[in-house]
Amino acid sequence: MKNEIGKLYIELGEEYNFFAPIKEKGNLVFKKILNPDDIILDYFNSKVPPKEILFPKTEVLFEYKTDGKEVTEIIERKDLEEKNIIFGIRPCDAHAFVLMENFFAFGDYQDEIFLKKRENSIIIGVGCNNPKSTCFCTSVEGHPFQKDDMDIFLVDLGEKYLVEAISEKGKNLMNKMPWLKNATKKDVQKAAELSKQAEESIVTKLDLKDIEKVLDPNFDHPIWREVSEICIGCGTCSFLCPTCTCFDVIDDNDQYNNRGRRIRIWDTCQFCLYSLHTSGHNPRDSCIERCRNRILHKFCYYPENYNTLGCVGCGRCIQLCPVNNDLRSIIEKIKKIDIKKEEKISA
Amino acid sequence: MVMIMGIEAENKEIENSMRETARKLLKEKEVDVIIGYTKGTVPLSSAPIMITKEEDVDKLIWNNLCYVNLAKYLVPKIPQLIDPEKGDLKVGIVSKGCVGRALIHLSVEKQIDLENIKMIGIPCNGIINRKRIEKEIGEKEILEFFTSENDIIVKGKGFEQKFSYDEYINELCKVCKVKAPPTLAELAETCVGECKEISSVDDDFEDLIEFESKSSEEKWEYIKDSLETCTKCYACREACPMCYCNLCFVDQNKPIWFGKTTDLSDIIVFHLVRSMHLAGRCVACGACSSVCPVGIDLNLITRKLEKIVKERFNFTSGIDPKKTPPMMDFRMDDAEEFMLEED
Repeated sequence: MKNEIGKLYIELGEEYNFFAPIKEKGNLVFKKILNPDDIILDYFNSKVPPKEILFPKTEVLFEYKTDGKEVTEIIERKDLEEKNIIFGIRPCDAHAFVLMENFFAFGDYQDEIFLKKRENSIIIGVGCNNPKSTCFCTSVEGHPFQKDDMDIFLVDLGEKYLVEAISEKGKNLMNKMPWLKNATKKDVQKAAELSKQAEESIVTKLDLKDIEKVLDPNFDHPIWREVSEICIGCGTCSFLCPTCTCFDVIDDNDQYNNRGRRIRIWDTCQFCLYSLHTSGHNPRDSCIERCRNRILHKFCYYPENYNTLGCVGCGRCIQLCPVNNDLRSIIEKIKKIDIKKEEKISA
Repeated sequence: MVMIMGIEAENKEIENSMRETARKLLKEKEVDVIIGYTKGTVPLSSAPIMITKEEDVDKLIWNNLCYVNLAKYLVPKIPQLIDPEKGDLKVGIVSKGCVGRALIHLSVEKQIDLENIKMIGIPCNGIINRKRIEKEIGEKEILEFFTSENDIIVKGKGFEQKFSYDEYINELCKVCKVKAPPTLAELAETCVGECKEISSVDDDFEDLIEFESKSSEEKWEYIKDSLETCTKCYACREACPMCYCNLCFVDQNKPIWFGKTTDLSDIIVFHLVRSMHLAGRCVACGACSSVCPVGIDLNLITRKLEKIVKERFNFTSGIDPKKTPPMMDFRMDDAEEFMLEED
């Protein structure tokens, strides 16, 4: 159905916001499609992760009016009931949605905005035939052809896609595509071969087993001084991470027109302001503590809180770090920490 | 005699002499640590490195991907450069021309004391425009990169593409007049390696003619169009050796001065105000553009500011440690004619 993606858009574009990979200023990104010809089907993965569909960089939570002093009216947003199709995402990014949900639905505070959007979205993902050299999904319990986190799973067979409904939502949507042809045994076989090939082509392998047990007792290890040495403290690694969920909430008050907006924007533990207390004290005062926090959050706190790693192995932070502070080398250094020896020192 | 050397051979020669100087500095305990560049782990990259032992000196490299401005690590000084007992470490810093300029300008702004610093001067031959090559390669993965004669060659699964070195270096490098760190008599102690005596810079700014011929509307469109994809990760600010404020204007929240959203208006305000803060201070290293994860090119804006400062105040940043920069000066007879102009 490769040349029928346009047909899919035409049929569903009215009812759904149709998000798909496009090129914008030379970067591959997921955007709401207005013209199906813009969709790019031959790609590795997007530069900005598709998390921005459910958790945008800038999101207006509600708007309000004032009488100059007090808020007189709150205008709730109306777009949460809109239905989305997220087309073409990779298994790592689909799994990132599951991890994000851990956070947004954790404990007593349910983030209705994220959860509503997630509920109203249908994910049509594509297996990853050509993982990049920096991809390591198989080291974080993932697979280039993992389909569990999608509603419909596609395998790119070259001239056509093999289409498989995974969830109930996916099955219902597939009923709207009567023009799909039955797959042959050969197609299924080819998909299995591609899956195997993709798995074998992954070159980055990280040993992350029990890493939280190494990290937990080594909060004050000299390694953090070393691995943060060249970090310049920007937000690239976390902003472009598909699982990072931190945000800041700000009020954009327009006092001249008696109105305003409450907005949430991406924030990151890599910024000095993130952990600054009102007293002026900052528990994460330098890059040493901030770099450590990023690693501990993904590979120690996350497994402790949610029983899974907080990383999907997409490799974006490795590819895009401005100073090439490579996560792979950081993990290697952590794995070299000798727990027994450290225990002796602390005893 | 005119020597014609391929870019690769030139780099090798620079690298060897840089390592030798670094080794000597460490051996003679002239410095405690050397900040330099080492091989990157992904193609089209390099990584900064800090070296304290003589035997690690061979990890230092020089090639046309050493795009980070290492002066960044000195202001604000990162804690790794301070010894809890000894205090400030003595630093040797691998300095291409724009790193040298940054150090000199930072000393003029009284942020560093050049006495504690050794500049290991390097005659830089231009930094590769990695973002432009990435964009032109498109949806293919670059796995290998090398320079050969005067070509940049990138390779991946099933492709090999050649880019002309002269064409594919940063626009700022094409017009760079300060390839090695500028040195004057009073800096003789600071400069080791290859530095160049220079007292003023002549620049015709011909590269700006095309941009300047645009109408105000067209310039505005260019600014909007190029900044649109910004994610506000602040990599440009953090990589900039001149952005060292304790609290950046955009982070001020008592009261809030500027919006922090990624609405186009907030993006534009951030970048334009930041660039205004760099007027007469920017050292044209291009690090801001080299590090941008979404490939935004800010250099046309900073270059235009460099020209305005040169024309109005006859000042080039980071050349003369004795000359007062316009941003640190106040004169009653300042014409301020630019306040009313459009350019």
